[in-house]
Amino acid sequence: MAKPKPWKFLAGMAAALVLVLALAGCGGPAPSNSGVSLLETGSTLLYPLFNLWVPDYTAKNPGVKITTQSTGSGTGQAQAVNGAAQLGASDAYLSDAQMQKTPGMLNIPLAISAQQINYNLPGVTGLKLSGPVLAKIYSQSTYWDDPDIARLNPGVKLPHEKIIPIHRSDGSGDTFIFTQYLSFSTPSWKDGPGFGTNVSWPAVPEAIGAKGNDGMVSALEQNKYSIAYVGISWLAQATKAGLGEALLQNRDGNFVLPTADTIKAAADALFDKTPKDERISLIFAPGAQSYPIINYEYVIVKQKQPDADTAKAIKDFLTWGLDPNNGGAASYLDKVHFQPLPASIVKLSQDQINSIGS
Amino acid sequence: MRRPHTVRRENLIRVTSGLCAASGLFSLVAVLGVMFVFAWPSILFNGWHFLWGIPWSTGNLYGTALVTHNGVQAPQGAQYGMLVFLAGTLLTSLIALVVAVPVSLSVAVFLTEVAPPRLSGVAGALVELLAGVPSVVFGLWGVEVVAPLLRRGPEHFLVRTLGFIPWFAGPVGTGVGLLSAGLVLAVMIIPIIAAISRDVLARVPRDLKEQGLALGITRWELVRFILLPHAKSGIVAAVVLGLGRAMGETMAVLMVSGSAVNILPRNIYSPVGTMAANIVSLLDSAMSDSTGMAVHALAELSLALFVITLVVNLLVPVVTRGVSLITGTLPGWGGRAVER
Repeated sequence: MAKPKPWKFLAGMAAALVLVLALAGCGGPAPSNSGVSLLETGSTLLYPLFNLWVPDYTAKNPGVKITTQSTGSGTGQAQAVNGAAQLGASDAYLSDAQMQKTPGMLNIPLAISAQQINYNLPGVTGLKLSGPVLAKIYSQSTYWDDPDIARLNPGVKLPHEKIIPIHRSDGSGDTFIFTQYLSFSTPSWKDGPGFGTNVSWPAVPEAIGAKGNDGMVSALEQNKYSIAYVGISWLAQATKAGLGEALLQNRDGNFVLPTADTIKAAADALFDKTPKDERISLIFAPGAQSYPIINYEYVIVKQKQPDADTAKAIKDFLTWGLDPNNGGAASYLDKVHFQPLPASIVKLSQDQINSIGS
Repeated sequence: MRRPHTVRRENLIRVTSGLCAASGLFSLVAVLGVMFVFAWPSILFNGWHFLWGIPWSTGNLYGTALVTHNGVQAPQGAQYGMLVFLAGTLLTSLIALVVAVPVSLSVAVFLTEVAPPRLSGVAGALVELLAGVPSVVFGLWGVEVVAPLLRRGPEHFLVRTLGFIPWFAGPVGTGVGLLSAGLVLAVMIIPIIAAISRDVLARVPRDLKEQGLALGITRWELVRFILLPHAKSGIVAAVVLGLGRAMGETMAVLMVSGSAVNILPRNIYSPVGTMAANIVSLLDSAMSDSTGMAVHALAELSLALFVITLVVNLLVPVVTRGVSLITGTLPGWGGRAVER
């Protein structure tokens, strides 16, 4: 009676195996004819755009199921590289080291974003700042009436108060582009902290870290004499909070605010230099009107997909998203404060999308 | 006839409960082991310097130059030291304890000895309710209420009154930092310490108290010479539980600490970074490191936090015994004060 029943055991094992395989299949696209499922993960800045895209796209293309996740650019990069996600959203392109380690990754720009410098200095509007001055503020204790700041702002009454520089405590594409602006404009910053989604911030006693763009705006609001870099999608909140928006010095020496025109000028200025793989920084672009802190928002995709269905689903979805009449339309981009790609860059991105295969 | 059955059941219970008990130890060892393996490249790369180093830098992730140390690779310029975060964790927890312990004990004494039974029941339930509030709520309260409030007045008041003590001297900061993180943590651990202390105090034998009262001692003397000595071991255990919570707390601290990196706090108003909060905020960008060293370094930081928490918990019996030797009461465990 208590004899072991091998067939039962084997049946159990088989059932468990099937279950495990089914679960393992969940991560990747389902091979059945019910359609393809894609996972998008990464940048918190791109997340709202994907959330606008996905319902509209899947309504027209019921064969595809797309899940979106807001995890952070670093996670987006890592999971696109290791295959956990098909679409990795990132504010930064993959580094040379990452490209060498995992060849065959595509960095495809979908839109352009920008960043403004906000400050809390009651009564002072239109403050002018440059990369080297910002690098100084983030490197050492500095007073608002520092000669370097005063020189850029003749006639402006600046208080003798210490500046509170606020940086992002979490990894962020905003930190990436801000520190690129400092690196490209200031040799000592380049040799020091350098740039990245998180850098080793210099020891400034007044400095504080804040989490997320919402944290940056609220820290600015709460602290008189503070300064911070904030994603352009938060411009309205920052202005409403009574914060100042700085004019930044571009490569040609002019002081500009981030507007649709100055952002486009910067993107146009760098078009000739954009390589085929589109891994280029748009920071500190030449041109009289170019705003110095703008960047491409990337989706990171493996060129070689495991099967033809997945490859086709990714290509179709990204082509739709890039199309100025569909996902790239102002009706989508305006809502998340992105600027459209110039037509020439759309073509480069489309070439990259077309190269996806299995 | 039923006997073998009972024996078998007895054995079954013994084996199952034994396995369950062992699973605690097993998971502890497993977690420690896995973290150690995961942190190993960082341990090799950073060496002992990890323990007292101040700079925390992933190095130049966008360069292609790598450095090799002890056979492990990392981007050029990478160096990891946990001193800033260790100091942040220990100092915020210390402030939390300094504030929370007297308050919690007062609450516990009030609930067991002073308050009328009905009020005691309601107030006790409220204290326990406080223990269940999610930490992000405390964090939001800290950053929106505590920090602005501290900046407006109390920090300047502290500088004026206690400024002669080095750590209390100015300059004051932005409100976020060591003091506000410590205060938020204190509010979070008060319910834990108060609730356990109340249970311990409530178990002090009634006849002991009555003997004391019969001798005509005051209520203060009753608390000071009978209740507290008797409940000491249980109270110490409560404090250690609170300390464990304070050291491991992540979200609330992340929101009010000011997230300092590369710089040690100058005074109690300075921004700090703690180990737990730092692991959360640096993990995402660490994943961009193609050598993986940034993630390994965070694993070593978690390992260090784990070990510190473990040591604190293992120290309880030692501390309790020490306290008992000094005060002359016998050691007890889990709030069971042993009668003389």
